Amino acid sequence: MNKQPLEITVNGESYSLAVEPNRTLLELLRDDLDLTGAKEGCGEGVCGGCTVLMDDKPVRSCLTLALEASGRHITTVEGLAQNGELDPLQQSFIDHGAVQCGFCTSGMLMAAKGLTLSKPDADNKEIRDAMSGHICRCTGYTKILEAVEAVVDRSKEKR
Amino acid sequence: MSSYAFIGKSMPRVDSRAKVTGEAQFTADIKLPKMLTGKILRSPHPHARIVDIDVSAALRIPGVKAVITGRDALQRKWGVFGYTQDQQFLPSDKVRFIGEEIAAVAAIDEDVAQQALECIRVEYEILEAVFTTMESLAPGAPLLHDDFPNNINIHVPINVGDVEKGFAKSYYVREDTFTAAEDSYFQGEPYAVVARFDMDNNLEIWMPNAGPHMKAKPLSNALGIPLNKIRVRKITIGGAFGGRSEISPADFVCALLARKAGRPVKIVYTREENSIATRQGHALITTIKTGVREDGRVIARDVTCYMDGGAYSSTGPIAVSVPFLCMEQAYKMDHVRYNGYRIYTNKPPRGMIRIHGRAFACGVDTQLDMIGEHLGIDPVTMRLVNAREPGDFTNTKSHVASCAMKETITKAAERSGWDDKWGKLPPLRGIGIGCNSVQTGFPMGIRGGSQAIIKLNEDGGATVISGVVDNGQGNDNMLVQIAAEELGVRTEDVQLVTADTEVTPSDPGAYSQVSTFIGGHAVKNAAENVRMQLFETASRALNVSVDDLVARDRMVYVRDSPDKGIPLKKVVRMILAQGKAVCGQGEYWPKVDPKREWVKNPFGQMCGAFSFGTTIAEVEVDPETGKVTVLEVTAAQDVGFALNPLVIEGQFQGSIAMGGQGGILTEGHVWEGGSVLNPTQLEYKVPLACDMPKINTIIIESNDPEGPYGTKESGMSIAMSAAQAYAAAVSNAIGVYMTDFPLTPDKILEALRNKAEAEPVNQEQDEAKGLEIVVPAV
Repeated sequence: MNKQPLEITVNGESYSLAVEPNRTLLELLRDDLDLTGAKEGCGEGVCGGCTVLMDDKPVRSCLTLALEASGRHITTVEGLAQNGELDPLQQSFIDHGAVQCGFCTSGMLMAAKGLTLSKPDADNKEIRDAMSGHICRCTGYTKILEAVEAVVDRSKEKR
Repeated sequence: MSSYAFIGKSMPRVDSRAKVTGEAQFTADIKLPKMLTGKILRSPHPHARIVDIDVSAALRIPGVKAVITGRDALQRKWGVFGYTQDQQFLPSDKVRFIGEEIAAVAAIDEDVAQQALECIRVEYEILEAVFTTMESLAPGAPLLHDDFPNNINIHVPINVGDVEKGFAKSYYVREDTFTAAEDSYFQGEPYAVVARFDMDNNLEIWMPNAGPHMKAKPLSNALGIPLNKIRVRKITIGGAFGGRSEISPADFVCALLARKAGRPVKIVYTREENSIATRQGHALITTIKTGVREDGRVIARDVTCYMDGGAYSSTGPIAVSVPFLCMEQAYKMDHVRYNGYRIYTNKPPRGMIRIHGRAFACGVDTQLDMIGEHLGIDPVTMRLVNAREPGDFTNTKSHVASCAMKETITKAAERSGWDDKWGKLPPLRGIGIGCNSVQTGFPMGIRGGSQAIIKLNEDGGATVISGVVDNGQGNDNMLVQIAAEELGVRTEDVQLVTADTEVTPSDPGAYSQVSTFIGGHAVKNAAENVRMQLFETASRALNVSVDDLVARDRMVYVRDSPDKGIPLKKVVRMILAQGKAVCGQGEYWPKVDPKREWVKNPFGQMCGAFSFGTTIAEVEVDPETGKVTVLEVTAAQDVGFALNPLVIEGQFQGSIAMGGQGGILTEGHVWEGGSVLNPTQLEYKVPLACDMPKINTIIIESNDPEGPYGTKESGMSIAMSAAQAYAAAVSNAIGVYMTDFPLTPDKILEALRNKAEAEPVNQEQDEAKGLEIVVPAV
């Protein structure tokens, strides 16, 4: 298949690449850019493990062609921490015991990040809805929801 | 107030930072130089003789580096036990289930590998297949394995006392049958393997596992390579739940491909492959006959269970025994008889799962409720009358040293408001209780014990070397907590070298909830050994007895006089200056009866400790859709001692999701012959965040005399009892005892319909009731 040019920004870094039209964004991130934080749990957009932000909105990178991300800004879990400081969501996941096996964690974090960016004052129902497209087999979700709620509540207090 | 620095305290896990940053490497994330992609060709037939396999066309495809079939293997049969050796990885005689491995390729990328698979020609002679236990047992049914007559893989017979005499003496006797479909693990991470050989024929291999040593030995046997050449490496693991306990054909296939290609190979399963070609939970038909006294106490119980084992033995003898064991641990009986049969069918092989034998467990508890209703005794009292007590012996002669079963029942009942709800809830609301007991370990022969090594560095930092593996439950953190506590260092001072068969001594793995009890115990003993080395040197320097010293916060000091001490690193340097290493080992071997055997001698001490859990669930059923909404769940478990309450709460919550919410309401495989119709997460419904109820967790500590710090199993007793509680709550809500699991809406609607037909009620009342339900919904 003929490769097509792709200009893309990932975690703040610009790339000029040539990719096959059938290459998914997930394959590009994991195999070409060695960003393996996004996981393939199902390959059909169900589990949510491959979620990354495209221009601050969560997308399933397994269902997104790399070329669809042309000219866009992609954020993966590796791009959440800034200058060695964990994102408040990452710290909250640690503190609340929201991480068990960790396979769903990056997708969960990116969904939560997308929510806090688009709706910083989300209520608990909105948080639950935003996280309900992601499968976790270990935690029963309680501590994941608590972790996100704590970050949203703290940002509400600040304002 | 405990005197511990870390033990018993809620602390975030040491492995979570790597997991929230994406740094943690799972098997599929591994990338090695010149690594190839491996793909497996699977049988499209449930039962067929392999006449010929032609791989020549596949080999001609550019980019294909190796193709293997059964001819490339030693053609040895593998089994967990000597008497269950029935599975040849890459079979050369016949295939026994749809999805069985038949050939494999290694190629430069996935597309080429896929193309090569499509070019492999297999000639099959189709054989008659059997898909249910009853079909398999029918006279004249085709045999899956010639050396297992009647397709009976395992028969576990247990007979204690005289059940017939017990029934004769009983005030009330009833018999019921309970059934359940196969369930699946759906671990977050699909199965994956990476393998490479070096020029000296050493195999380095990574895969999700529940015990690296349990992978290494069978690989050594199957490949015909000495054990010290098999290096199962540590890797982050995305869940196990009982499904990653044994060698997988993928491990063997990946190793063979890597050897033949002379390059590293990675195989990553699709979600479908993870469902059909790893393990599944057993389907069950369980008939339970129980006789009780007038006060509800069980006198005799006779259980016959048929488990659909699929095509191969897997952990068959264990799988057949565990549902019985959970029952005999949880509840007292004077006489008991068990006939457990694991039957071969032409379906994927079945293994242990977190809610193992749900039809058995839910059957026992549902029947207790049925009996209670007949006797006019409420479910909580039925449980209390029959509950296991400390100091008891089980029917198969295990001593139960610590047990707070009754406390789990009373505390859960109190917290859930049982007395205000039982019998008083509005129509279609229900409450139910389940109790269970899970083993902390079981006799595992030569790999039943664990050994650990700890060395201290000159700056006072520690390296812990242990075979314990972390599947996601938090075992790594457990080891760090224990080592830091015993050595008197901080958790960040402890480094782990774990779950690597080249380096770490033997360990039973994360089987049967044994990691803390056995592996953690060994680390505790090793740390005590190292601490004593420090104390011997420090006691001379401080001129006090070793008995007067404590190690805490990087210091060794005189008890109650923190000012009179020496920094720990200084003590280490004093020892090093004498030309000695500060290094110690410790081991732990559980006090089990080594003569106990699953089939031949199912008597004697089963394991070091037993844990006990009670779950109470409250539900509401929508009579129009059959949908169950779970309002609140309360889980109480006797965990012995809570090493890290934060982690234990997470285990309880996850157990309720998998055991109750998924295990009883939605999860089950649907079949057409030997084909699974719901192998992916799209069709097999595991719970989501929006499904989960409010959860109350109650940790009860009975302080087991043998467990390290008094600990024993935590979590699985909740998964099991949650399944029972959910089942009971739904039955209570609809006023029909449900006996076939999962309780999907179609079954609930059918039960409601049958009930309405069987009990014609007053027309007016019926309408009023209907209105009552419909109005609030509008």
